[in-house]
Amino acid sequence: MIRTLRILAANPLSLLGLTLVILITLAAIFAPWIAPFPTHNGAVVDFLNNNRPPSSHNWMGTDLVGRDIFSRILFAYQISLTLGVVVLAIAVPIGTMIGLLAGYIGGWLEMVLMRIVDVFLSIPPLVLAIAMMGVLEPTLTNAMLAVTAMWWPWYARLVYSIARGEREEGYVLAAEVIGAGAGHIAFREILPNCLPAIITKMTLDMGFVIIIASSLSFLGLGVQPPTADLGSMVAEGARYLPDSWWLTVFPGLAILVAVFGFNLLGDGLRDVLGVDE
Amino acid sequence: MSLLHIKDLRLGFKTLAGQVDVLHGIDLDIAAGEKIALVGESGSGKSVTARIVLGLLQETRTARINGTVQFDGQDINSMSARDRATLRGTEMSIIFQDPTSSLNPMFTIGNQFTEVLRRRDPKLSKADSHVRATTLLDEVAIPDPARVLRAYPFQLSGGMNQRVMIAMALANKPKLLLADEPGTALDVSVQAQTLTLMRDMVVQNGTSVLFISHNLGVVREFADRIYVIYRGNIVEDGPTDALFANPQHAYTRALMSAVPRITGVGIPEVPEVSDDFLAPRISHGDAL
Amino acid sequence: MTLLALNGLTKTFETPTGPVHAVSDVSLNVQAGECLAIVGESGSGKTTIANMILGILAATSGEIAFDRQTLSAKRSAKQRRRIQLVQQNPLTSLNPKRSIGASVRLGLDVYDIGKKSGRWTAVEAALDAVGLPGNMRTRAPASLSGGQRQRVSIARALACDPRLLVLDEPTSALDVLVQARVLLLLNDLRAKHGLTYIFITHDLAVVRNVADRVAVFQSGQLVELGETSQIFSAPKAAYTRQLIGAVPVVDAAELNLRNKLAEGV
Repeated sequence: MIRTLRILAANPLSLLGLTLVILITLAAIFAPWIAPFPTHNGAVVDFLNNNRPPSSHNWMGTDLVGRDIFSRILFAYQISLTLGVVVLAIAVPIGTMIGLLAGYIGGWLEMVLMRIVDVFLSIPPLVLAIAMMGVLEPTLTNAMLAVTAMWWPWYARLVYSIARGEREEGYVLAAEVIGAGAGHIAFREILPNCLPAIITKMTLDMGFVIIIASSLSFLGLGVQPPTADLGSMVAEGARYLPDSWWLTVFPGLAILVAVFGFNLLGDGLRDVLGVDE
Repeated sequence: MSLLHIKDLRLGFKTLAGQVDVLHGIDLDIAAGEKIALVGESGSGKSVTARIVLGLLQETRTARINGTVQFDGQDINSMSARDRATLRGTEMSIIFQDPTSSLNPMFTIGNQFTEVLRRRDPKLSKADSHVRATTLLDEVAIPDPARVLRAYPFQLSGGMNQRVMIAMALANKPKLLLADEPGTALDVSVQAQTLTLMRDMVVQNGTSVLFISHNLGVVREFADRIYVIYRGNIVEDGPTDALFANPQHAYTRALMSAVPRITGVGIPEVPEVSDDFLAPRISHGDAL
Repeated sequence: MTLLALNGLTKTFETPTGPVHAVSDVSLNVQAGECLAIVGESGSGKTTIANMILGILAATSGEIAFDRQTLSAKRSAKQRRRIQLVQQNPLTSLNPKRSIGASVRLGLDVYDIGKKSGRWTAVEAALDAVGLPGNMRTRAPASLSGGQRQRVSIARALACDPRLLVLDEPTSALDVLVQARVLLLLNDLRAKHGLTYIFITHDLAVVRNVADRVAVFQSGQLVELGETSQIFSAPKAAYTRQLIGAVPVVDAAELNLRNKLAEGV
């Protein structure tokens, strides 16, 4: 772990990624304490102060009802990161399990599972999420559900392809000859060899989950106002471009910085963990 | 004057933990037409020595090379990368351990021959190259060369690919052939045939050979002189017959006694490592 | 007594270009306590036979009997236990993501050998028995040399308490000094634990010094079977003589012997 961090830090790009991710995470965790206007996350109005450009009072300006955009972005990061973590915490184990069993056990199980995976993968991700949200109520929980549903197949496919390769390796043969069961071989022998790829993909995916979630809320299908959310903030301010540019640009940059940070970190991890796809 | 003259060659690699020294001052000479074997176990430095001679390691950023490596009077270490590249494939060539994986799977044998022959003669036409390649394949006793030229490496056996490699390596009549554990990936009988063929061809062409191996038995039947390398140092050298008749260095003796004999004398107790192996170099002098 | 009996063992692979007869009607007995060498070049069928004995490949026809009990590829863990394997490639035969101790421990866990609380100690003893310090058990395979890894493979196989060990080119990937030490270790262990070895190799010089009997295979067929001393003094089959003739030799005595035996090839 320490060695991984040291090697990451040696590469300027991945160091930048790591720094950004750490900053964003800290911002999200400590938002209630570091935000200049912590109450602005909720239903607060200040029409005397609304639609103001960036100033020393409001570093990123205020929105249409007078709330401080910088504070709202910090709280919005909470939503984005929570969504990313929860989605991955559910999608990754499910996808991994399915891919692992399909890859190692093979036979009809492999056929059935991978065809199910193919069905999910054949639906454009955003379309699937939008369809689900059309049926369900637009809440954070349901948004997470929708994104999870479209995310797990990618992990199934990744782990499946690695497991299929690893099952031909000498150490798997050795375990089979010793008499170890399929469960042991899949989870204690093969799975550890899939972890570097899974971890790398998870890091890269954080950025993508944030974008998908922002897209959903941009379309009004995600978190509802007055909760601060990067996508809906961009949506609200979009029609006021280019005059009240700060309404869109800052939340947009916030998305960009988050995605950029996770991507750089993921690329760096890929080099360190020696993963090739 | 030697064709290849290596004097006090030192190699180190710069790593995060400091410099790791791999070669500690190698001296080695190959005269024109001589067949030299460099014998050692894994980690001895024999393969990196070959790479330095070929000019491949000089471009690695982390490599620190000192000492003299002179090929045909020219200093390899101080040449430009481009000049070194010009020598490869023309004056110097190499054959590797696993013939099938050393040939490009995407191109036919014929295409690969054309590529090789064009190193010497860039304007060579495909037709001419086909003719030359056919002659070369005949020389390595490949029946039906036309079929082989049309084939891809994976369609041919290991033994066939090894002969193709030998033919390609000698196609441009190089002065020095490097062979890195040739034939170890092949069956014993095929290996024996291939090495006999290689020996005949180099003798016929007057090519010098640097034969790298860990197999003393194979080397005994091939080389004129042998250098034994241990952990980056030459520990013993001499004409083949003299060395085998009277090995003197503790490491050489350990190697020789550890090789299993078909006379069935058993496996002796030899140490894997020993301080005696670090004893200074013993030289048997020149052959008659 | 006969520990392993092969009777009319055959394996045919159906390929797009037609059937491949990898193993044809092989019958031989392996005696308890002996070291039987299986010798052949590529395509001889030696690996296929090993895979059938180990139960990872089903035979097309014929019978395998271990300790007088017929075995098929579908065998229980209990049946697997007594026949273990040491592979050729020391690097790929160990899980790179598990410590060598964890790899050695596998057999102990699968067969519930000894008390759980004492298993790490047993692992250390197993490593010690193959000449590795017990405290190495936390190391990763990548940090070990080829010879050390092969010793770990041997320890892992022995942890199951087997009776028959199939050794598939166990020293072919090792340097000559390391090979000598590992061969000596294998000899010791066989004597100490009363093991039976099936030693698969292409290296006749090794065979001469470790095997009691030799079975020579060519294109899936058993060409010659005999005591080692007899094979290397009066080989009957032309193929055997051809193989001997191709062995690289190191001293004059060997050269004489080789020339004598390979005469007429």
